[in-house]
Amino acid sequence: MFAEFKHTLRRMRGQMIGWGIGLTLYGLLMVSLYDSIVGIEGFQELIASYPPELMAFFGDADFMAITTPKGYVGLYYFEYMTIIIGIFAVAACASLLVGHEEKGILDLVMAHPISRTALFWGRLLGYVAATAVILLVGYLSWYIPSGSSGLDLSWIELLRPFLPLFAQLLLFGTLALLFSMVLPSGRIAGMITGGLLVANYLLLGLSNLNESLKSFVEFTPLYYYQGGDAIVELNWGWLAGLLAVSAIFALLAWWRFQRRDIRVGGEGGWRLPSLPFHRRAGAGREA
Amino acid sequence: MSEQIALMTQGLTKSYGRVRALRGVDLEVRRGEIFGFLGPNGAGKTTTIRCLLDLIRPDGGTVRVLGVNPQSDPVTVRARTGYLPGELQLEPNMTVESALRYFIDLRGNKVDWGFVRQLVQRLDLDFTRPIKNLSHGNKQKIGIVQALMHHPELLLLDEPTLGLDPLMQQEVYRLLREAQADGATVFFSSHIIGEVETLAERVAILRRGVIVQEAEPSQLTSMAIRRVWVRFKEVVDPTPLDRVEGITLLSKSNGISAHLQVEGEMDGLIKALAAFPVSDFEIERPSLEEIFLAYYEAGDKEAG
Repeated sequence: MFAEFKHTLRRMRGQMIGWGIGLTLYGLLMVSLYDSIVGIEGFQELIASYPPELMAFFGDADFMAITTPKGYVGLYYFEYMTIIIGIFAVAACASLLVGHEEKGILDLVMAHPISRTALFWGRLLGYVAATAVILLVGYLSWYIPSGSSGLDLSWIELLRPFLPLFAQLLLFGTLALLFSMVLPSGRIAGMITGGLLVANYLLLGLSNLNESLKSFVEFTPLYYYQGGDAIVELNWGWLAGLLAVSAIFALLAWWRFQRRDIRVGGEGGWRLPSLPFHRRAGAGREA
Repeated sequence: MSEQIALMTQGLTKSYGRVRALRGVDLEVRRGEIFGFLGPNGAGKTTTIRCLLDLIRPDGGTVRVLGVNPQSDPVTVRARTGYLPGELQLEPNMTVESALRYFIDLRGNKVDWGFVRQLVQRLDLDFTRPIKNLSHGNKQKIGIVQALMHHPELLLLDEPTLGLDPLMQQEVYRLLREAQADGATVFFSSHIIGEVETLAERVAILRRGVIVQEAEPSQLTSMAIRRVWVRFKEVVDPTPLDRVEGITLLSKSNGISAHLQVEGEMDGLIKALAAFPVSDFEIERPSLEEIFLAYYEAGDKEAG
């Protein structure tokens, strides 16, 4: 398992470097802009002139709090990082095993003395570690320069909101992995999971405008995403719940991987798992 | 299962949805032999090999590899086996060396790097080259190195010389014979008849998911249909030969020679020719290719 974990990390180093550079530049830029934004004359009046619907979309956020460190970091980072880094999570997990399977690479890897369980968990842990590294870079890009700005947040205050973000990335990542195990291709799994992530984000915003949606969004993962609010206090119950759902998705994906054929190009169709009536209909036909 | 059997399948079946890829494959490969698995594309060769490694699960039948059921203990089977897939794909961003080190890592670092270097040199590979810059043949060489590097007890090779030039093909044959001399069993699939004829001690012919013939290559050729040229000392009517069981008169040249097709034993023909003034007699031994085609043509007629 360790060999596969190590190899997955090595394979993801390009993504880690790319996302790390992007998040570092963004963090440095936003920290350096904090003092200027807070100091803009009439900034609060500008915020107050925004349409109330726009403000409501972002979760009844107190836009006037944008001039506080918590409000600033929450709105300019954690509000939409689930979507931004979520792209990495969904893309990485949808192809974690199936990507190599579709390219025919997994065939040879699995001919080595490694069990399906070790391969699966080795790769998933590799993804978890890569995500942790990306978020750590994101954290440091805010924390290190914050000392020289008015963004007065302690290391633990800044660390707290990264935990729910990490949990969300695990949840959508493992969901993409599960879909990749049951859907005809990794691309479809990625598209569906990505679509669900964006739809959840929009639905959550719309539920702030339309009360009737509230009862529905309670069943969606992003409802339990604290964002910048976690700077003040972390909801451990929500965090544990998100991690538990991620674990269930991962276990279901592992269970499915244990039982499926490893496909190579040209060998059978890329179809949904066979249903009993499919088997009956197929009986008797030759290759 | 006998200790002498390296690989055994009984009634192996596998379907992909509506397509029946294997319809009851029965195979027995003895330890230490080189066994050729012959068949055209789509006959089920790759599916059979992938069932042996638990990459795919058969719908029915029994499989034993080195005495182990690959479905209940795939890791043991794979540890003792070297595999070369038919459509070898490698991660393009790795170099030859990093790819081989990764495979060694997957084998728990139980590989002698000196032997890997030796294989790489013999196959004229460059450790430092990125895989994305390699030709198909050079990628195939990496596949051969990783299959051989841990001195496996059993080699499962799906089209081992695909994309290799003739010189490299010969080097691969030498490597396989050396592996056999060290005690390994070699089970390889191919649709190149010459390769099977050169290398295999026994051969099985697979057609539409079933074994239609299993024998030594020399046995196959002796059992097959042969063509015979007979030259006579004087003009004769060779038509009576056509009435002998197993003999077909293909052509007669002005009564001075005849071209015959003989199925099975030659005894009937020799006895029938005793009544003719024969000056010369020539038997055309069929190549394995002709036998192979005969099986397929016969099969297609049956299917039709």
